[in-house]
Amino acid sequence: MSDVDMEKIMTRMNGLAGELEPFREMLLANVVMISEIPAPTFGEEERIGFLQQRFTESGLDTTSIDEVGNGVGILSGTEGKQTILLTAHADTPFPVSENHSCTLETDRILGAGVADNSLGLAVLVTLPTILEGLNIRLKSDLLFLGTIGSLEQGNQRGLRFFLANTNRTLAAGLSIEGAPLGRLHYRSMASLGGMISCHVRRKVSQISAIEIINRIINRLGDIELPEQTHTGLVFGEISGGASYKIPARNTQLTFQLRSDDDKTVADIRKQINAIVDDEAREKGVSCHLEGIAWTRAGGLESDHPLVVLTRKIMTGLGIQPRESIYSAIISGYVEQELPAICLGMTDGDNINYPDEYVEIEPILTGVAQLIGVLMAIDGGCCAQY
Amino acid sequence: MLNIDNWLQSNTFHHGQFWDLLGLIEEKEKKNLTISLCIPTLNEEKTIGKEVVLFKSELQDRYPLLDEIAVIDSGSTDRTLEVAASFGADVYHSAEILPEMGFNRGKGENLWKAIYQLKGDIIVYVDADIKNIHPRFVYGLVAPLIHRNEIKYCKAFYDRPLALSREIRPSGGGRVTEILVRPLFSLFFPELTAIIQPLSGEYAVRREVLERIPFPVGYGVETSHLLDVYFEYGLDAFAQTDLDRRVHRHQETRDLGKMSFGILRTFFKRMKARGMVNDLPELTANLRQFLAQENRYEQVIHEIYEEERPPMIEVPAYREKYGLDAA
Repeated sequence: MSDVDMEKIMTRMNGLAGELEPFREMLLANVVMISEIPAPTFGEEERIGFLQQRFTESGLDTTSIDEVGNGVGILSGTEGKQTILLTAHADTPFPVSENHSCTLETDRILGAGVADNSLGLAVLVTLPTILEGLNIRLKSDLLFLGTIGSLEQGNQRGLRFFLANTNRTLAAGLSIEGAPLGRLHYRSMASLGGMISCHVRRKVSQISAIEIINRIINRLGDIELPEQTHTGLVFGEISGGASYKIPARNTQLTFQLRSDDDKTVADIRKQINAIVDDEAREKGVSCHLEGIAWTRAGGLESDHPLVVLTRKIMTGLGIQPRESIYSAIISGYVEQELPAICLGMTDGDNINYPDEYVEIEPILTGVAQLIGVLMAIDGGCCAQY
Repeated sequence: MLNIDNWLQSNTFHHGQFWDLLGLIEEKEKKNLTISLCIPTLNEEKTIGKEVVLFKSELQDRYPLLDEIAVIDSGSTDRTLEVAASFGADVYHSAEILPEMGFNRGKGENLWKAIYQLKGDIIVYVDADIKNIHPRFVYGLVAPLIHRNEIKYCKAFYDRPLALSREIRPSGGGRVTEILVRPLFSLFFPELTAIIQPLSGEYAVRREVLERIPFPVGYGVETSHLLDVYFEYGLDAFAQTDLDRRVHRHQETRDLGKMSFGILRTFFKRMKARGMVNDLPELTANLRQFLAQENRYEQVIHEIYEEERPPMIEVPAYREKYGLDAA
């Protein structure tokens, strides 16, 4: 992509957020409607159904729901030699029983999941209408994908399935998240999300499963974590037992192991397995380790044109790129060696709590940056690298 | 005898029957109809923004079903009007519409003034306190009026009296419906019991009907509508649409007492006018409730005047605005 072409994009960015003003209500209405459809991981059908209806109403050439339940829509480009993938995850950490009603104030939207990721989905489904309204025609096909099963034990099932099975020539992936504006993720760390379960056969042993898990935690704490690969171990959740006066029969511990390096994670996993197996030698005790989610280390270098041009577009729009560059979202793309970034659309807070909110005013700037990046990829910034 | 079974068959709908909005708009345009949405408000800043954005985006910008979206306010002290205006609604202070007619604080007053202020051949009224607002709250109510000329008044209900997994669910009226209004209708106007939620605040009505009925300014407005339209046009002028679930504020039992009082006054006034009850004493405006404080009981008297606004067609300014005297 030539400097002249990039300058054209930067010129087009001038005033683009203002041109998006007529689409503000449509975006907000979509945020509200999406937010109010509960979509816990593995329970996204109704929300994906809404996405597909919106894709159809936008006049996309192809809309469908794939084998695992992702919502797919395709907007044909003028040439169609390559496809740019735009994704937003549809699931939330909130159960169906959570209050999903949201409130629209003059300057913000409040409600469970509005930032993570109703706004991202709303941008995904509104973008075809916006591009048509602004008469922006790209050469590349755009493939809009609302993914299922992305969080926790979902282990990015929807995105991984799509990337492993698509027969399209993908130029790049753009992951859309509601917040924060300035988010520019382009690398993922290696990680293992694991669950250690302990069970005591009461007829054989009177030991409490909590004592077993306590021994395991102490031994995990003794594992050497190499600092040079920024390796860390987080104990996330623990549960077990039935009553304060009865020795616990079952316990479960979930944890996440993270590192810059895939091999470090693999090596430490072996050590954890050995500890768990060792504790299971005790009579009447069984313990095992189950991997519930994992990511691979990798991604784009900071001098990749997609990263450089995205930074330039963000800065041109007055968006300050944030320092963090890592997100688990990128791992799915790393596995398929597809260049990808993740962008945030606006500022928000209390994410993953019921009083989650996003600010309205910056949203159009967030969408403008997304359009700019699309134009840069369409112009060939990933192909020449 | 009673027309209830036939009417339930032919005039009860589910919003899912009207999902084809493009077809609905085509029919609306063919019949040259205009539709106005009126949202009466009093301190509804928490829900009004969402309602306005959804209706504007979905039923004006995406599917042009509504010709105007108006909020008519009784004097909110919160940011209701600011929020509504910022998302594109036309906002009006009820007191500033027909100022020569004075101002009463009450939902019925706002609904009545909407007839003067709004331009639609059909006005659809939707309360502002709905937490799970959705476009169906409008298209589900106006569609029967667009498709069938003989239907003049379409009312919402929110529970389906249908057999589900071999179990018949009771139709879900609210508490005041089940312990006051339905028993009254059963005794005196049994056909009206077919209306599953007579007190629901969401309905679409043709102007030709609205302008000819009086409006209690407070709690009795829904009951008076049903009675007055029934007396004039019969049950066949009504339809009702199932809008599935409606999530809204829970009202205290004491407040339901005030509502019941207003409904009873409206009801007896009409019974008396039709000669159905004789020797009725003059109806007091005082509702008496009691508060317990330790061992003392204190009487609280609420004055509930159920003033009625006259049919709009009798108001000179309205006749002038719509050129009714010229003919």
